[in-house]
Amino acid sequence: MSDDKSAEWAVELKGVTKTYRKGPIEVPALRRVSLRVAPGEFLAIAGSSGSGKTTLLNIIGGLERADAGDVFVDGKNLQLLSSGDLARLRLQRLGFIFQAYNLLPVLTALENAEFILLLQGVSAKQRKERVRKLFAEIGLVSLENRRPAELSGGQQQRVAVVRAMVTEPALILADEPTANLDSVTAGALLDVMGQLNRAHGTTFVYATHDPQVMERARRLIRLHDGQIMSDEARASTAP
Amino acid sequence: MMSAFLLVKIGWRNLWRNPGGTLLTALALGLGLTFVLISLGLLDGSHEQMVRNRVRYGTGHVVIQAQGYQATGSPDLLLPIQVVSATEAYLRTEAMKQTPRGVSPRLLASGLLTSAANADGVRIMGVIPKAERAVSLIPERMIEGAYLADGQESGVVIGAVLARKLAVKVGAKVVLAIQAVKPPAKDASDPDKGEMQNALLRVSGIFRTGVQAIDAHVIQVPLSEAQSLLGVPDRITQIAILLEGEGDSLTVAQRLRGQLKDVPVEILPWRESMPALAQLFSLEEAFNYVMNGVVLMMVGLVILNTILMRVLQRRYEFGLCQALGLRPVQLAGMIFGESLALTAISLALGLALGLGAQQFLATHGLDLRWFSQRNLPADLVFDPIIYSRLSPTRIASSVGIVFLTAIVISFYPALKAARTKLPDALKVF
Repeated sequence: MSDDKSAEWAVELKGVTKTYRKGPIEVPALRRVSLRVAPGEFLAIAGSSGSGKTTLLNIIGGLERADAGDVFVDGKNLQLLSSGDLARLRLQRLGFIFQAYNLLPVLTALENAEFILLLQGVSAKQRKERVRKLFAEIGLVSLENRRPAELSGGQQQRVAVVRAMVTEPALILADEPTANLDSVTAGALLDVMGQLNRAHGTTFVYATHDPQVMERARRLIRLHDGQIMSDEARASTAP
Repeated sequence: MMSAFLLVKIGWRNLWRNPGGTLLTALALGLGLTFVLISLGLLDGSHEQMVRNRVRYGTGHVVIQAQGYQATGSPDLLLPIQVVSATEAYLRTEAMKQTPRGVSPRLLASGLLTSAANADGVRIMGVIPKAERAVSLIPERMIEGAYLADGQESGVVIGAVLARKLAVKVGAKVVLAIQAVKPPAKDASDPDKGEMQNALLRVSGIFRTGVQAIDAHVIQVPLSEAQSLLGVPDRITQIAILLEGEGDSLTVAQRLRGQLKDVPVEILPWRESMPALAQLFSLEEAFNYVMNGVVLMMVGLVILNTILMRVLQRRYEFGLCQALGLRPVQLAGMIFGESLALTAISLALGLALGLGAQQFLATHGLDLRWFSQRNLPADLVFDPIIYSRLSPTRIASSVGIVFLTAIVISFYPALKAARTKLPDALKVF
């Protein structure tokens, strides 16, 4: 395995393999996947259910480890990092947006959005300033004191996007972020993500199986049975 | 470094996600503490009452008697009556800081009490009525006639069982036969010493204590009468001392031993002078500790079950927190904070309920006659009404133990939360 290297690529995967074992049965999830993602890309990973999209995102995000190969994120080889170091990397350099239930139900929208800043030890004043700036950018200001149960699915996902963005991470990973949203709300969310990607230069990698969502990506990778079937640069339809 | 304030805030808010459930849980835990406090209060109260009653039927909290009397019970082992005044004087000194509730000199012997109908062996207590009233419960347990009057030189009070056996009532005449104390060598010329003596006595009163051994065998006569019959003027067998509380027994006994070290006496706290009773109380205390241990264990299991259920239901949430960068130790801290908040609410509830109940039971008592179909007499050796007694130390230690139990038990759910496995915890579909 290679050691750390300079962050020429936001993400670099070399021959990554992952196999799940359920008793005597082995289920290959990723087969020698190699991939490079440049800083500032807006990349979609597409594929049907079971194609390995979530596994690939989990491995890039340090939520699980590859069985073989090298995974470089922000110049660090995740295969060599301890669990504590991975937690620190997630905290400092990565942002996550999940399918649903992204927010802590007992915290308000503002508190959820500033949660990671709090973990990072950022002062209260700076936290509020940074969160409110992004809330203003995507129209959440009036909702900052609401709890998740008082927000729509789209509003909750937008709060999750702000939480992922507010720390100015090197990379944001989103696993089917629009899966539980209607097409209009999904489009609005992708607009927000695209807007933040362009404005802040943050790298976005998201998984989807929705053709409409794929259309918004500027690069599309198709996975099938744990292997990359195609990798194409596209002209995004994002506004 | 994550703010501890945020941990507390999240823990606190998590508690109120389901206010009804939280309050019910807190009430269940609080009732555990309430039960512990009520149980300990009644235990301490009944213990204090039982000790007070039993020592008042026996030797008092502290007894002074001739060296060797405890082991032999020999009627020949006597003290000069001057020891009484010396003891009283010392108990009232500033050094002792101990005002006894009563000091009663007694002359003890065995004899035979005969009526026109029957005869029975009796334990004779020669007493000074005024002094005995301050120490013993027998004067308070008269059911017929009256107790010996101050200055009364003759007469006898007997137990109800003995009165029935002898078929006597108040005013009846009985004959007490007693063997005089054996003469010391120098008094050998006195022909009455060591011989059987008889006295005709009139029954002044009949008592009922509820203690079979006392009601069937104990009689009390004026000290002067007993001294005269036994041929030992100015001599007594023991001095029974009643204190304000039993907690001082050992200290007072030890200080008296230091003070009377040159006199050949044995000074015993009630636990030594009445060892069988002390053993009974020790067993009772041990049993109650076990019972309270069981209650605490149940309280602990409720805490464990509650927190564990909360943890298991929030697996996804913990997974999310870990994915965002929360370290396992911080996650454990969050759950721990939640447990502490729940425990604090529970303790506040339990303390309020427990102290309320304790106050009620301390004032009105728990009347055991409510639970018995039989009409229990009020003169039982164990009072049928138990008054709760709880010292601040007892309350503090109970709260402390429940709190510590909760803390120890909260570790497991916290550990469980900290061990949330990624990415499995994030799978929702």
